[in-house]
Amino acid sequence: MDRILSLWPAGWSRQRKSSATMFTATVGLLLILWLIAIPLSWAPAPIGNHAELFAQGTRVTVELTVVAGLAGVVLGLLAALGKTSRLPPLRWLAGLYIWVMRGTPLLVQVLAVYFALPEIHPALSLGEFSAACVALALNVGAYNAEAIRSGLLAVPKGQIEAAKALGLSKWHTFIDITFPQAFKISLPPLVNNIVALLKDSSLAFTIGVVELTNAGSQVKSSTFQAVPVFIATAVIYLLLTTVMTQISDAVERRFDIEGKLE
Amino acid sequence: MSPIPAAFITVDGVNKHFGAHHVLRDVSTQFNAGEVTVILGASGSGKSTLLRMLNRLEAHDSGRIVVDGIEVSDDARQLERLRAEVGMVFQQFNLFPHLTVLENVALAPRRVRRLDRAAAETRAKELIERVGLAAHMHKHPFQLSGGQQQRVAIARSLAMQPKVMLFDEPTSALDPEMVKEVLDVMKGLAASGMTMLVVTHEMGFAREVADRVLFIDQGRIAADAPPAQFFGAQDNERIRAFLGRILH
Repeated sequence: MDRILSLWPAGWSRQRKSSATMFTATVGLLLILWLIAIPLSWAPAPIGNHAELFAQGTRVTVELTVVAGLAGVVLGLLAALGKTSRLPPLRWLAGLYIWVMRGTPLLVQVLAVYFALPEIHPALSLGEFSAACVALALNVGAYNAEAIRSGLLAVPKGQIEAAKALGLSKWHTFIDITFPQAFKISLPPLVNNIVALLKDSSLAFTIGVVELTNAGSQVKSSTFQAVPVFIATAVIYLLLTTVMTQISDAVERRFDIEGKLE
Repeated sequence: MSPIPAAFITVDGVNKHFGAHHVLRDVSTQFNAGEVTVILGASGSGKSTLLRMLNRLEAHDSGRIVVDGIEVSDDARQLERLRAEVGMVFQQFNLFPHLTVLENVALAPRRVRRLDRAAAETRAKELIERVGLAAHMHKHPFQLSGGQQQRVAIARSLAMQPKVMLFDEPTSALDPEMVKEVLDVMKGLAASGMTMLVVTHEMGFAREVADRVLFIDQGRIAADAPPAQFFGAQDNERIRAFLGRILH
């Protein structure tokens, strides 16, 4: 898939092209969410007559991805900071979290959050959508933590020494020096994780969330036409992951001041 | 008799170990305001460690270091005051690669001295002009040569208006043709009366600019003399051997 980036006038700066790409791809994503029922309704049966169900499923899939993705980045940052902390209890806690979430299947985590937590305490009883968000966020957070941690560790020691020597506080050293450089390094693996999350959100199907895969499955069950249904489902996933990759690609270029990606 | 200048930096009985290696052994000396001291020594002799202890990039194991009345320790408030007064220039420049030249120089005054952006940038621009890089204000470090990067690093340090500047082998990572432009900036700085401690192998600079040469050998100060005396009739065998290696 070619980049939107190459469509802009050659005279534009890389920053401007990147910003324009981010904007266009984001608008594209919103248009897909808002209007996808229309092109789907042009398709022959069994897609056209179930366009609204597919559209609804697409919206839920994106909602799951956005909510769990944002929470997962925050969780990942906290866990990465915990794992690189000087305090042993924090390191231990972050290590335990990452170990458990990466070492058990996501499907088990989704089921556990939905079925097991309420048995432990009634207050932990969550709706299907919330339970799916919690499980997905916890899972992607653990993978994000490793991506962010490797970014933090890749910032040269001399950078932190220079910041110290200038008298910058720990907070400003992190916010102004370490984090921007670590973020740039962590971005490609983070994007990988979020694209994987979009696809993994299909596991919410198992606890009854009507996301895209569930929507497709319902249409298949009522029409017994598996081939067109799964083609439509796969095409929508591809469309979503492609738009997401365009956005992240542009973000990556926005931060690529050295022009290494040209 | 001229009055004895008050010691600006006092190092008193300082020891430092890296694991089992005893890097600095009971080092005591003083540095006066306005003085340019060049610190020489073989690699591994402890000269960089001595410099890095003065702004607490390394912690000393025992003894005392006092800079302008500030005890060098891990006390956060003291450390903040210390580092605002002590500038440092590194062998590898350590410019912030994601910021422009102007942003590199203006950052610390904004964050530490709490200047607003306009005031910090006005001061930064003056300093960037002073090191001869007015045309490169909005470039990023990767677009500059090593010598230019090191001059930006000096300007970045000066932006904090330090009372003393530490130079840790500032020209060792540079191509030979770029050494001069950095040394020229340092000479200008010395002429302006800045207190400077310079770890270097540039003997020409030591001879020409230094008020005093310290020679560190195996973690001890083995010689402490004005350059004319140090580079003149040297009766210390180890120093003669060192100078022989450096000069030939």
